Amino acid sequence: MGIIQPVMIVALVVLGCFNLCYGGEEFSEELLLRPLPDRKVLAHFHFESTTPPTKDYGHHHHLFPKAIYQLVHKFRIRELELSFTQGRWNYERWGGYDPISSSNAKPPGVELWAIFDVPLDQQSSGSIRYGALPREAVCTENLTPWLKLLPCRDKSGLASILDRPAIYRAFYHSQRLRITSNEFGSEGIEPGIDLEQTLTIVVQPDDQRTSTSYSSGKMLQPDWSISSIFGRKISGTCVLARSSSVFFELESTLVSELNKLGVDNAASDGDQVYPGVELSVAPDQVIKERKSSSVLFEFSVKKHDYKPLDIGVKWKYPIVWSCVQAPFQANRFLMGSGNERGSIAISLKATDHQRIIVGDEFRDKCEMRVVIFQVVPWYVKIYFHTVQVFLDGRLEHTPAVIEKIQVSPSEDRVSPGVMEIALRLPCSTVSAVITVNFDKGFLHIDEYPPDANQGYDIPSAVVRFPDIQASTYYLGDNSSRNSPILSKFQENNPVLSYTEVLLVPLATPDFSMPYNVITITCTLLEKLLSSPDFVQVVQQVERKITGAI
Amino acid sequence: MDLLPSSLSPWSSFLLSRCSVIIVLMLPKVHGEPWLTLKCFAADSIHKNPNRSSINGGNRRTSQPPTTDPHQTPQTPFQSGVIADPNPDNTRSSKPGIKRLIMISTVLFSFILGLPFLLKSIEIYRSPLPFRDIELLGDRFESSPRRLPCKFQAVFLGFEGGSSGGFSDVEKLGFVILDEMRELSRNNGKCGGCDLNYTVSVTAESEAGCVTNQGSSMPSLWQCGSFSELDDRLKEDDESVDEWLDSMLGKYNGDLADGGKMYTVVVMSRDEEARIVVGKHRHAWIRGNFGEKDAVDKVANIFVKYFMNGGKEDGLVKGEFMPVGADGRIVLSFSLLNADPQHWIYNWNFERIEEVKLFPIIKVLASVANISVESQVLYHTPKSSFSYWDEKLSSFIFSTKDLPFFVNSNEWHLDTSIAAGGRSKVLQFVVYIPSAEECPLLLQLPNGEISSTNGFISPMWGGVVVWNPSDCSKNSKNEHPISHTLSSQDLQKVFEVFTGQLRQLFGLKSSNQYDWQPGISRFLGSESGFTEWELDALLRQHTCFNLISCASTLGSLSRLVQSLPRMIIMDEIGKQVMLSLQAANLAENNASLGIYEASTVSSRQARALAEDAFFHPSIMSISYYSFEHCFAIYTPFFLPVLLHVVLAAVKEWKRYKKEQAKYLAGKSKAKAE
Repeated sequence: MGIIQPVMIVALVVLGCFNLCYGGEEFSEELLLRPLPDRKVLAHFHFESTTPPTKDYGHHHHLFPKAIYQLVHKFRIRELELSFTQGRWNYERWGGYDPISSSNAKPPGVELWAIFDVPLDQQSSGSIRYGALPREAVCTENLTPWLKLLPCRDKSGLASILDRPAIYRAFYHSQRLRITSNEFGSEGIEPGIDLEQTLTIVVQPDDQRTSTSYSSGKMLQPDWSISSIFGRKISGTCVLARSSSVFFELESTLVSELNKLGVDNAASDGDQVYPGVELSVAPDQVIKERKSSSVLFEFSVKKHDYKPLDIGVKWKYPIVWSCVQAPFQANRFLMGSGNERGSIAISLKATDHQRIIVGDEFRDKCEMRVVIFQVVPWYVKIYFHTVQVFLDGRLEHTPAVIEKIQVSPSEDRVSPGVMEIALRLPCSTVSAVITVNFDKGFLHIDEYPPDANQGYDIPSAVVRFPDIQASTYYLGDNSSRNSPILSKFQENNPVLSYTEVLLVPLATPDFSMPYNVITITCTLLEKLLSSPDFVQVVQQVERKITGAI
Repeated sequence: MDLLPSSLSPWSSFLLSRCSVIIVLMLPKVHGEPWLTLKCFAADSIHKNPNRSSINGGNRRTSQPPTTDPHQTPQTPFQSGVIADPNPDNTRSSKPGIKRLIMISTVLFSFILGLPFLLKSIEIYRSPLPFRDIELLGDRFESSPRRLPCKFQAVFLGFEGGSSGGFSDVEKLGFVILDEMRELSRNNGKCGGCDLNYTVSVTAESEAGCVTNQGSSMPSLWQCGSFSELDDRLKEDDESVDEWLDSMLGKYNGDLADGGKMYTVVVMSRDEEARIVVGKHRHAWIRGNFGEKDAVDKVANIFVKYFMNGGKEDGLVKGEFMPVGADGRIVLSFSLLNADPQHWIYNWNFERIEEVKLFPIIKVLASVANISVESQVLYHTPKSSFSYWDEKLSSFIFSTKDLPFFVNSNEWHLDTSIAAGGRSKVLQFVVYIPSAEECPLLLQLPNGEISSTNGFISPMWGGVVVWNPSDCSKNSKNEHPISHTLSSQDLQKVFEVFTGQLRQLFGLKSSNQYDWQPGISRFLGSESGFTEWELDALLRQHTCFNLISCASTLGSLSRLVQSLPRMIIMDEIGKQVMLSLQAANLAENNASLGIYEASTVSSRQARALAEDAFFHPSIMSISYYSFEHCFAIYTPFFLPVLLHVVLAAVKEWKRYKKEQAKYLAGKSKAKAE
């Protein structure tokens, strides 16, 4: 089977290229919709452009954006990810253990990391760069250049439903761009450049019905459709896209709840796909996840070209479920007061789902690895030796818990401090707190940003669970298509979560102070030297001298 | 906000000047009295003794005797001295003391002496710029920009000695042609054409012999006796004649590079229809039966109009608008626009056409500019102007007056090059494929004709060509359009138009339009699209404009720097200015020697460096330490202190003069007594 599958995929790629093939360049557009437990809806747009390597294909492209190609070649980029995010992903309610939350939930503001293909003689300075701007506001001016990279922009295809007010009204939205290139190195499996553009939004659909409370106090999920969320219907594909599909996903926890409902209410209508859930458009395909009970409904936009596609969901019964969370929920807060010093605490709280992931029987023996990556600006001077780990409230001997710690101290006005701690926690841990002390530095007067009294943002810490992978396998054995989004889900993404952004207040001077100081000192000096007595002093000096004589 | 650029030095100087005051005030200490006690004492005497002023006053105003208070006892020896003065009128016996005067003047002088130190310490760093050299360079180019020298050679073949200017007349012929050329090139612009002291060498060959005029300093390249060989060649086509002429005359330009390029016109007297051919190298030949005057006119015309000015027509594209970026680079950005991909999608094989059509152009223009090429295909890019259906032509028509609105900058995202952020010039070349709703789309010229190229240029921006698919009927059944590739013949045609547009952007005539030039039968074209004599003209023009632009940029920089005396100038700017001047001088030297390519390259460098210096980020930043700033910091201290010190000095000086007068009066009185 393992051999047959790639062969099939290759064959399908060839078939898929039948009417629109640009000698290897490909573009695809996909949209994933998923109901969330707190009556919200997740919409995840995924656009992917690929191009074969330059040495086979040359440097002129028909689909792949020229700007990205030139960027990759100018800076010899191997991998780059840039995200613009507004709002914070709610790990507790929206999940933290699936491919979307671990690779598309991003910290607020802008995050950029890149791996460069540096020549060997420059390798000492490192080939990876990370940067974050937590306070950056994200708006349409960021979306427009992002859309420009799509061959159809928002003129046709799935991107045409991107209604600006709907996006920026959302609870969370994150636009992301990821470049993977293998232009310079020889290793790697996929040669060429791959550009992945995603837009993830969490919206609250308008509830047309008066939310009828059921006797149990449960709330009915709001009914929604694409047109009620975005105000537009999908009116066709981007003709340049190789594949163009919309997916509707029901999570495993939701499916099991629905199945329970199905048992209770045996009398079900014919056109509902699941007990309690009704889709307005019949799906072209229903795919079941191989490991869990998650279900994916696929709608091919090409098949619906003759009339606008408007997928809607109706809920029959109130239903309560929760998303699968990461083993630990990470939070970060500040301790201490005053303008001199303080400490940062990162707390990890075990979630219910840890039990599900790990399993009860292994809880006592097993260990869980957690890697915390934190970048702090230079004016927050971290004392790395003060790292302390508390497990369930008890202070632990650090070498016993910390497997590895990697630090790069900050350099004033040059580089921020970087800290990466690998912890090895027993699975029975309920809470773990890592604290580290810091001194607050002083800035030069021209380094203060506007509105300095607001405080300084410390970028989110990244908490990674390297042992567990968030991947879903929808591309089953009988998969009849090659979907980039589903193959992305199938990749081994380590579970990731970002903590909150911290706001550290620093001593902020009165900016008119230097001139005040100058004026006051000068006045004092002037008083001392040239008071009206000055002349008198001189006279008295003489008088005294004469007296002495 | 940079209040104190060199935060320490102003304060140190400030302390220095203050220290001098303290030292002066400490002077009494040498005499055994601590300054502080003196100060206290002084304060004491002010507050505790309300009559102090009168006591002091007694010192001066003796009209008011110090006897108002009977209980008062003499307090100081000084006072007692006054009382002891036997003459209570305007005289005094002792010399007035100058200690107080010295003291106060020392304080004042120490302030004045400290001033240069203060000014030195608050001085900001300015890299020394060669203002004088910049000014000289500007003056030189302002009056007469350096032009590259050219040489001209006219060869008259088969003219009978008697009928039209015999052998003895070659000298005269040379002068006549020179005069005619001067006349024609009189109203050339600043940078058009050659260095003014060009010469014309005339060679005449006939059965009687071969003579060259002595007026010109250069040797004739015409090998006497080649007439018959040329005669044989003329039976063949024009190209082979051109190559043959080049093989004989072209050696000069390869071997001896001094003195510029040599241009030749060969005039053959024959009894046949007049035919004038301008070759692709640096030669032209005229055949026919003309008189001397006629031949001279034609020769001078070819020399000036084509070889000197590159066939340019004034007013087409102004020379000042060179389509070359300030860094000497051009990015040719080719875009294929599919107005509506729902109807059809076209694609091109750009790599192939780049090799065939673009590489030769890049190669020949290498000295003018550093050219790079990029391409993209864009979709959903409608034009923004209107077109109307013409029944007679059965096509959609857009007219020249709609052209300003044709380029749809909202939907045509052409600016995707990373070069767009720099100072390189990006020239856009756009192939526009209309949608089925406006196909075929034709451009109507103002005279009502349909444009043969179906394209247009926008100076300094680039060019657009509308390419119509052969079959305009939209296949409505096919929901998913099939991708077509532009055939190589079509692409060849489009790129020929682009070459013409590029020539126009450079100020030349688009190649195929030479044919209607009056009096010229044929122009031989070059594979690269640019003939050698056109390139020479471009090089001459660009060298000249680069140098003028460099001089004016440096002049602006020097004026700016001089007008803002407190602006920081980094060393890097100084270095760039120096290098720019060096490159400009090198370009001038090369120009005077007639080395075309090298002088253009140097002039390009000079311009790029001058622009780099002018647009240096440190100059762009607005925060510089202004004099007002400096004033605001130092005034609160120096103004009140100096005011008091100066007042004290003035007062003291007055007192001293008064006392001196008293003493002198007392002395003269005593003398009289």
